[in-house]
Amino acid sequence: MATSGPRHHDPGLQPERTVLSWTRTLAALVTVSLLFVRWYTQQGALALLPAALATATAVTIHLTQRRRYRRTVDGIVVERVRDAAGPVLATAAVCVLLGAAGLWVVVDGA
Amino acid sequence: MPCKEPPPEPSIPQRSRLATRLLPGGTEPDPRFTLANERTFLAWIRTALAFLAGGIAVEAFTAALLSDAVRTVLTVLLLVAGSVIAWGAVARWLSVERSLRHGRPLSLPLIAPLLGTACGAAATILVLVVIAN
Repeated sequence: MATSGPRHHDPGLQPERTVLSWTRTLAALVTVSLLFVRWYTQQGALALLPAALATATAVTIHLTQRRRYRRTVDGIVVERVRDAAGPVLATAAVCVLLGAAGLWVVVDGA
Repeated sequence: MPCKEPPPEPSIPQRSRLATRLLPGGTEPDPRFTLANERTFLAWIRTALAFLAGGIAVEAFTAALLSDAVRTVLTVLLLVAGSVIAWGAVARWLSVERSLRHGRPLSLPLIAPLLGTACGAAATILVLVVIAN
């Protein structure tokens, strides 16, 4: 496998752990998406919107993993990493939206 | 013996405009702390997603076990708790990042007792309902 970019010497494996943390978040989003799809039989097509949002977010995380790994490895090497304000806010916003969508579906169907 | 060129030294990253506006001033913290903060944030987000999943599951799967009113209350409680935890995760991330930048001690995590309360409330409701049935 061709190696590209600097190798980091962090024994704490911070880049790997950070990328893994995002992967686990991706998995949680996929689970939530599938549960929203389960609602489809009771609530109809309305339930597919939050499912699509959760899936799209999971896909976005997946597509940005390599860039994220490179960013964190570079950050360890130069002793300075950019704080991920954009991804953090976006992920939290998606969570809040999913919660709101869930509440709307529940209240609407009640 | 072929001599390989060492890879070019990566450049110092520029801060995004968003980061500069949300987290002004201070000095750049050790990258290990920033990354640890990011991972902690994601751990809380996964907790929030677990609450959302719980809320959806209660709504979808407990129609036979619980009355409509109890089921709705429990679902709403879990979904709201999930959203609150997501908010709290962002607030905590910002607070910790600011403290790191300005060398201040970290503040108490408030979402931990909040989480305990929400879990306790939901579990108590469920126990009472099961006993009553």
